[in-house]
Amino acid sequence: MAARRTRKQARSRAAREFVSEVEEILDRMRADLADLGDARAGGHLDPDLANRLFRSAHSLKGVAGMFGFEGMSELAHHLEDVLDGLRMGRLAPDAPALDLLDEVVELVAGLIEREGDPAGAQADVQTMIGRIHAALDAPPEPSAADAELEGLDASLLRALTEYEEHRLRESLRRGLAIHLVEASFEILSFEEGLSELTRAVREVGEVISTLPAPGDAPDSQIRFSLLVGASVRAEELRSRIDVPGATVHELRPAGAAAAAPATPASVATGEDAAVTDPLAEASRGEGGELESLKSISETVRVDIRKLDELMNLVGELVIQRGALGAIADRLIHDPATAKIGRELGKIHKNFERRLADLQAGVLEVRMVPLRQVFEKLSRVVRRLRRDIGKDVRLEVRGGDTELDKLIVEQLADPLMHVVRNAFDHAIETPAERSAAGKPPEGVIRLDALQRGNHVVIQVCDDGRGIDPAAVLRRAAALGLVEADDSSLTRKQILDLIFAPGLSTADEVTETSGRGVGMDVVRENVNALGGIVHVDSELGRGTTVSFTLPITLAIIQAVLVGVGDQRFAIPLGAVLETLLVDPATIQRSEGREFLNLRGEPLALRRLHAEFELPPPPLGARQAVVVVGLGDARLGVLVDRLEGQQDAVIKPIQGPIRSVRGIAGATELGSQGTVLVIDVAALVEDAAKRREAA
Amino acid sequence: MSTAVLDPRENFETLARTAGLRGDAHEEAAAERELLVLWLGDDPYAIPVERVREIVRLRPITPIPRVPEAVRGVLSLRGEIVQVIDLRRRLGLAEPERRQGGESERRSERRRVVVLNGEDGQMTGLLVDRVSEVLRLRDDALRPPTAREASTVHALAPHGEHFVSVFDVDRVLDLDGDA
Repeated sequence: MAARRTRKQARSRAAREFVSEVEEILDRMRADLADLGDARAGGHLDPDLANRLFRSAHSLKGVAGMFGFEGMSELAHHLEDVLDGLRMGRLAPDAPALDLLDEVVELVAGLIEREGDPAGAQADVQTMIGRIHAALDAPPEPSAADAELEGLDASLLRALTEYEEHRLRESLRRGLAIHLVEASFEILSFEEGLSELTRAVREVGEVISTLPAPGDAPDSQIRFSLLVGASVRAEELRSRIDVPGATVHELRPAGAAAAAPATPASVATGEDAAVTDPLAEASRGEGGELESLKSISETVRVDIRKLDELMNLVGELVIQRGALGAIADRLIHDPATAKIGRELGKIHKNFERRLADLQAGVLEVRMVPLRQVFEKLSRVVRRLRRDIGKDVRLEVRGGDTELDKLIVEQLADPLMHVVRNAFDHAIETPAERSAAGKPPEGVIRLDALQRGNHVVIQVCDDGRGIDPAAVLRRAAALGLVEADDSSLTRKQILDLIFAPGLSTADEVTETSGRGVGMDVVRENVNALGGIVHVDSELGRGTTVSFTLPITLAIIQAVLVGVGDQRFAIPLGAVLETLLVDPATIQRSEGREFLNLRGEPLALRRLHAEFELPPPPLGARQAVVVVGLGDARLGVLVDRLEGQQDAVIKPIQGPIRSVRGIAGATELGSQGTVLVIDVAALVEDAAKRREAA
Repeated sequence: MSTAVLDPRENFETLARTAGLRGDAHEEAAAERELLVLWLGDDPYAIPVERVREIVRLRPITPIPRVPEAVRGVLSLRGEIVQVIDLRRRLGLAEPERRQGGESERRSERRRVVVLNGEDGQMTGLLVDRVSEVLRLRDDALRPPTAREASTVHALAPHGEHFVSVFDVDRVLDLDGDA
């Protein structure tokens, strides 16, 4: 049985590997396609982008073939054809072509999830392949006349690949100047010099081809010719090249059509020498492969669980560090060992700093920009816009804001949900919008910004807004509140849309469609230690705000004591701590609160929440004031026991989750301490207020 | 059927691991199985050895609120936080009556947490009174439990003059069904 399980695990590990690899390729392609769509506005196709896409499709084909996904492999093969058509100029990079690419990529993504439906998937693949053929068979763009190439050295032209020739024509068509750059490099270090040269040229133009230059050079040197299409003159190009002895010949000035061959203008002269060398072949690549190889080697894909293991190790070091500090302190306070204690103390301080750097470094590796999710949302909105024909624009800001990879992944669904709700239900029809004096095009805005240890993500729309009266009616019909409850504030009423069973559609926004539970959104966000809020103005729009911790891993925590137990409260959620005399605690309808500088602060006793023994009567109590979003709560505990770094771990075992407990942390000599889920406490307290 | 009786001072971690490895090697010979025998008071129970990850001495357990009574709390195992289920409470058995000081100390000295591997890589600890040995037997030696309504025991395994109650581990860990 054990062996079978192991085989199954091996298979599922391979499958996971496959899925993650395919997803990574698809993500890269989606980003490149988005860029391609943007760049297209400039009137020409970015060859690097097209080449990168082509290579991605090629990798996809390889990976799919290796794992036996024939449908996907076949589809990737045809995707290659489309991209090849694009970069060879056989297919115009117009909107239908880009839409087709979008669709192929999404079909591939869908195939991963449709392992159980091979027949249906295969049918879709064949339909798509049919469409690809149709697109490629369409009459090609009238190709540029060969006359364009007249006057260029025939031996040079012969050396070009079909693709390079296409790029050359493309440069001529765009009226760029064509230069021949020649330079010699030491054989031992030519790769570096050549890529430096290529980079310099690329700032002002495109390297159409890199060829080993004929001629004789010293044995230790190798000479290259770069065929370059650029918008600048030879002088300027030469001035950008920092290679001794490099020459630039202008073969065709900018803007010249297929007129008389230009007189090669020699700008600098160097030793005309070169050798043909097999190495040169290797450095010659279609569309800058030299560079792409490098960029691949600069990133590594890491299983996030390996990072978790590293994080565990760092967490254990943090605990050890605490013990070291305590020993140093003890030594310092004993006169007999004070000297050695101080030395140890110094080392400890150094260790602490380095460890903090290490911690930050490991954390940073886990951080990914929200852009990934935002791009997905943009695509969805683009597709909805196309399919439904509703005029809605998605504006995105703050895509660089970084969050723990795990959080970003878990966030995709809730965000998608809210954006779809906005698209489907919140934004009115153009007629309705005009009648309301709004521009016909609706706007959904996605915003992310970091605030301390939290990231706030907002989804705003300028749609019809939520009618509190309608929410209240619906909630009353469901028995969630009394219909005539006048004590609820507008905010509390809006908050009811997160109640199970209360959809934001139909009754509330008076449109048809599938209004789906915001309760699931709240649940998912809470599971990440975050909270979600809604604000809305009738007729003006709705804003849904997500407040999330930056990371789930290492946190600073305030240790509190209740009876003989200890708990940790994440410092990120703590606003302040204070000691209170029990006599100053006030009550209203049996609920306790405190006068905190003129504002009432709701209190919850931790011992009551967790059914622990109460403190002795009249004993001084401590209050930890916690806040998330704009919600505040005072948590009453017996003692404050200082601050500590804590690595929050999930609790393993049959009980999957305990409301109010976010996890646990090991604190060396102090044993295992439960970490309080502040979001849950704050929310429960708010619910109890509402229920009242 | 053969039993390997162990000196109680023997290192149980090693025992469980080697037993686990043997379990692997024997898995194709499906007719044979190995059971870890553990005790609640004077009653022997058993768990398939391949579900056992390791056995550790009882150490301070941090209680958790808002969970069924059978969950004693959590303990930390090389950086992982694991729930500990008190097997006596899980089965609804009485707490052992208090005896004289020396006796009770010896008893608590023998208490162990048997750490189980979950299907999904999650661990769970089972608090038992003591662990004694690994029992090796053929499947056809197993007998059905006497109580039809038995919820957590799925077979009885002969062991000398006695029968050992063999747990269905997943049912023991299912605290929602009955606890």
